[in-house]
Amino acid sequence: MKNMNRIAAAILTALLGIVFAMPAVTAEAAEDMMRISDWAELLSDDEEAELSDQLDEISERQQFDIVIVTLDSLEGADVTAYADDFYDYNGYGFGEEKDGILFLISMEERDWCISTSGYGITAFTDVGQEYLSEKFLPYLSDGDYGEAFRIFASQCDDYITQARAGTPYDVDNMPTEPFSPFGALIIAAGTGFIAAFIATGIMKLGLRSVFSEPKAESYIKKDSLNLTKNYDLFLYRNVTRTERQKETGSSGGSGGSTTHTSSSGNTHGGSRGKF
Amino acid sequence: MAAIQEYKCPCCGGAIAFDSTVQKMKCPYCETEFEMETLADYDRELKSGQIDDMSWETSGGNEWREGETDGLRSYICKSCGGEIVGDESMSATSCPYCGNHVVIMNQFSGALKPDCVIPFKLDKNAAKLALKNHYMGKRLLPKVFKDENHIDEVKGVYVPFWLFDAEADADIRYRASKVRTWSDSNYNYTETSYYAVCRGGSIIFENVPVDGSEKMPDEWMESLEPFDFSKAVDFQTAYLAGYLADKYDVDADQSVMRANERIRKSTEDTIAETVRGYTTVTRETGSIRLHNGKVKYALFPVWLLSTTWKGEKYLFAMNGQSGKMVGDLPVDKGAYRKWLFGLAGAVGAAVYVILFLASLL
Repeated sequence: MKNMNRIAAAILTALLGIVFAMPAVTAEAAEDMMRISDWAELLSDDEEAELSDQLDEISERQQFDIVIVTLDSLEGADVTAYADDFYDYNGYGFGEEKDGILFLISMEERDWCISTSGYGITAFTDVGQEYLSEKFLPYLSDGDYGEAFRIFASQCDDYITQARAGTPYDVDNMPTEPFSPFGALIIAAGTGFIAAFIATGIMKLGLRSVFSEPKAESYIKKDSLNLTKNYDLFLYRNVTRTERQKETGSSGGSGGSTTHTSSSGNTHGGSRGKF
Repeated sequence: MAAIQEYKCPCCGGAIAFDSTVQKMKCPYCETEFEMETLADYDRELKSGQIDDMSWETSGGNEWREGETDGLRSYICKSCGGEIVGDESMSATSCPYCGNHVVIMNQFSGALKPDCVIPFKLDKNAAKLALKNHYMGKRLLPKVFKDENHIDEVKGVYVPFWLFDAEADADIRYRASKVRTWSDSNYNYTETSYYAVCRGGSIIFENVPVDGSEKMPDEWMESLEPFDFSKAVDFQTAYLAGYLADKYDVDADQSVMRANERIRKSTEDTIAETVRGYTTVTRETGSIRLHNGKVKYALFPVWLLSTTWKGEKYLFAMNGQSGKMVGDLPVDKGAYRKWLFGLAGAVGAAVYVILFLASLL
């Protein structure tokens, strides 16, 4: 019943949003919204306040809404549709295009979902989102939700900055890992030793010159090969087929973002998965 | 007695030997040169004279205990009367007292007469130079080995080889496949076609050599190959003057196994090469029949050089015809470690810098 109340509250808020917020300039409306809705009570009050400050700071600075929602259950609803509607009906998003991104997790189904809108569709491409999910998924799976959300927020900041610079993270332009001195040391030492082993192995081999000769090819009488039987018999063939990777996306070609239309008729990008 | 033969210069009486640079017999004292052909007649003359005496001078002194001389033979030098002791396969050597070259004729009589010989083309100095070159560019070779290295002994040896001719009949079936890929708008297609590939035929092998000397390690002799058989000449004992020679002590029947092994391998390879245009080829069944033909007995020229380092003997062999030098060299453990860690450090540092720079992009 608790959940039902919440959903009712959400719908009511949404309806109010439609009734009152629509005529107003949406950028203004977004400022009043809470950018974190921790209905599954995953965060402590301190964590929630800290995260809320982080989201507000980035969103205001970038003029781009970053919203995080946690649910106990989707109550049978489709996670993508729920995320899209939550975004649309609560009036998130800056500017005409309603620029923003929403990150939703539902505990019962262990679903996570990202919904992008407006400039978010440009900034968060399909592969960009896949890479992003690799960053926060380990923390989600471990139950460290606070850390997962912090990473999500700071990554979003990075993604938007990158997109504003003209080249969103995409297939041919992926974020580079920060330099880790220890990891690099292990890789460098490993490749160094492998290369040195191969090189010194070749040098060692150079000292040996006594080998038995298993063949006698230099003693074949010239042109003495006389093929008396020479036929190739076809036996059978089999054909396998694999479906081609469909290349779609708003930016055309490979990469870019896949979009869909939400129940309110708005265009959203996004991705989903389990944790 | 006809058991041993020296070649003496008809001009001055000095001992003459085969000179590899002029490919003739040459007297080191008066520099007179003799054509090998003229000596061929001389050779025949020598052979005809040895019918009555097949024995050798055994100096079975009282001090020899029974069985001790079993593998030994001794001969008397015709020039100085000194005693030359050798093992039973020794065929050409030099007298330890006067240095004259002698050839033991018994070792080449009857069935023991080689069919052909490849004369030495390269001399002792070429062999020493080749050994020096053999050391070059070897970074892991101990430096002291190069510097302190004294060649203990350089010997020009005619090594007995069996040469086998054989015809190989092969009948082999392969399973082969071809892969073709294409795609339409929805699917990628991979078509694999399977074939039974049948090949049959014959290949002729000529003069496959097998080392006929027990003393010479087979691996070394095979490493020295190939010898250019087209440069072989009919055997004359005169070619042996100035070199060492052994008669065979591994007979043809024992040696043919090794030749067949190599012929079989090469036949398989050659037939497999005729199967072309397939993605994968695996041999299914097949047989190879060998018809061994003629067997020849030949002497091939080999320079043997031996050195001692840190109490261990190192043996090198050079193909006396082509100059190919073989012989394993010791590894300097210190140098090896230095190179290993040095290279690992250098490559590692370079990789580290590249990783760092890549992260800045």
